[in-house]
Amino acid sequence: MMRKYIAVSQNSFYDYLAYRLNFLLWRMRVILFMLINYFLWLAVMPNEGSIFGYSQKEILTYIMLTILINGIVLSTQTARVAEEINSGSLNGFLIRPINYFLYNVFRDLPDKCINTFFSFIELGILIFLLHPPLYIARDLGSIALFILAVICASILYFEINMILSFLGFWVNDVWAPRFLFFILVSFLAGNYFPLDIFPESIYKFLEFLPFSYLVYFPLKLFIGHGAGISVVKGFLILLFWVVALFGVMEYIWRKGLRIYTAVGQ
Amino acid sequence: MMTISVSNLSKIYKTYKRDFGIFSSLRSVVARETISVHAVEDISFTIQEGELVGFIGPNGAGKTTTLKCLSGLLYPTSGNISVLGFTPYERKDEFLKRISLIMGQKNQLWWDLPAFDTFKLNKEIYDISDSAFSETLNELSGLLEISDLIRVPVRQLSLGQRMKMELIAALIHRPKVLFLDEPTIGLDVVMQKKMRDFIADYNVRYKATILLTSHYMSDVRQLCRRILVIDQGRIVYDGDFEKLIERYADTKILTIEFNRRVKESDVSSFGQLKSFTPTKIVLVVPKKEAKSIASKVLTTLPVDDMNIEDVEIEDVIRMVFQKSP
Repeated sequence: MMRKYIAVSQNSFYDYLAYRLNFLLWRMRVILFMLINYFLWLAVMPNEGSIFGYSQKEILTYIMLTILINGIVLSTQTARVAEEINSGSLNGFLIRPINYFLYNVFRDLPDKCINTFFSFIELGILIFLLHPPLYIARDLGSIALFILAVICASILYFEINMILSFLGFWVNDVWAPRFLFFILVSFLAGNYFPLDIFPESIYKFLEFLPFSYLVYFPLKLFIGHGAGISVVKGFLILLFWVVALFGVMEYIWRKGLRIYTAVGQ
Repeated sequence: MMTISVSNLSKIYKTYKRDFGIFSSLRSVVARETISVHAVEDISFTIQEGELVGFIGPNGAGKTTTLKCLSGLLYPTSGNISVLGFTPYERKDEFLKRISLIMGQKNQLWWDLPAFDTFKLNKEIYDISDSAFSETLNELSGLLEISDLIRVPVRQLSLGQRMKMELIAALIHRPKVLFLDEPTIGLDVVMQKKMRDFIADYNVRYKATILLTSHYMSDVRQLCRRILVIDQGRIVYDGDFEKLIERYADTKILTIEFNRRVKESDVSSFGQLKSFTPTKIVLVVPKKEAKSIASKVLTTLPVDDMNIEDVEIEDVIRMVFQKSP
């Protein structure tokens, strides 16, 4: 039963390696983006004391680790789902005994693994070259919470992406909403800076949206700011979104499939 | 044993009317007119195990819609379908494991990987044992003469080679029921023949039930003893191909030109009038009487030129379509 999905991962892995240049450019984009942000904050932050409740060490750690989080949480192949719906190749999945959701999960896994692996290597090189002051989480509690949050965030991101791709059942081109979404995510998820730098009223609002849980929340746990925000409250909101969006994803899939099988492609 | 049974199947699509021009496009955002398209209307037929049936009809006649309904990709608006005892649109795993649908250009191959990787994925998806997998793969790739290409990335293959790979991917689980939508489209004449031979061979070798659509009459003529002719969503002929030809090849076509104008009443007694203008008529007459009618026309009417022809298969099919309402 599981073997077919492992085979999906295997093929997806080889498929990924077919586009090495593409991958290389993508990694360069991620590093460049991080470096700009890094030097900006290095210039702004004083060596001693803190701004916005962050020491230089903490904020630079946050910025460096966005590489890792991007590799684990934000790597996905699910944009292909919309393509498959619009081109009609979804048919090829519907007439084979395979679960399309699990297929997508296992197609994503190699993507996440490869990106995570490379983000570790890049982090190593950057730390070696830049000697940044880093905050290393020492207590196992923070690390365990970080890992748990990262897993939940990955599921959440998968769900959001699948829902976006399912728009393909209704419209022929899902690039516009997807592009908008990417800009929104980089900003609202905390890819540029920790979100509690925002005025409190805005931050309080963002806390209830799913996006801040993709990047900001896990990293916040890692740099040991767990006490500052309520860990329990954060996890409750995160879990709420994971469960709610799972429902939405399932519902839209069933609705969309009904249209798809009524009209055909 | 009955493998496929379809009774009173209808499929109606609802689509939105789209107008040209900016204003009508804008208006259509607010209020869209729906159009019902009757793709298939009240068709019924049964197919026995091991039969190879041809499905013929012009573009948009409802062939593909029917195949999609049979393979579970579309749910019918009304009517019942049973394939191997399953209701297709429920798409149960046990059902999917025993069927396959091959549609011209749609593909399941991984573009950047060798076809072999897709075959291996399908091996796991269909839960095929190692021995059965390598046996079927050897057999199919041997029949299609592409054993040496299965390790080459798909994007480097030619269209014909890709179609063959597509075919292997779709047959690696040895489906008992096979739906083929235009299996030879876009292939050259040599490849078309090979594909036909292969389909015939698969039908016999695995006792598979096959329903295929094609634009090419030669495909159908060589492969299928029985044909279903569909036009405008309705089945207009179901039966032996040879009998259909016999029925129409039973007749000859007389094309006669006159050097003076004639009246319709002058010529209508000679046979079935296919077309009439005062100086040229086309008559369909029984084969046996063709000669005597021709000489009668020659003696009684001012004939300028006369031509006696056999009907062609394409014409036979066209005649069937013309007869249908």
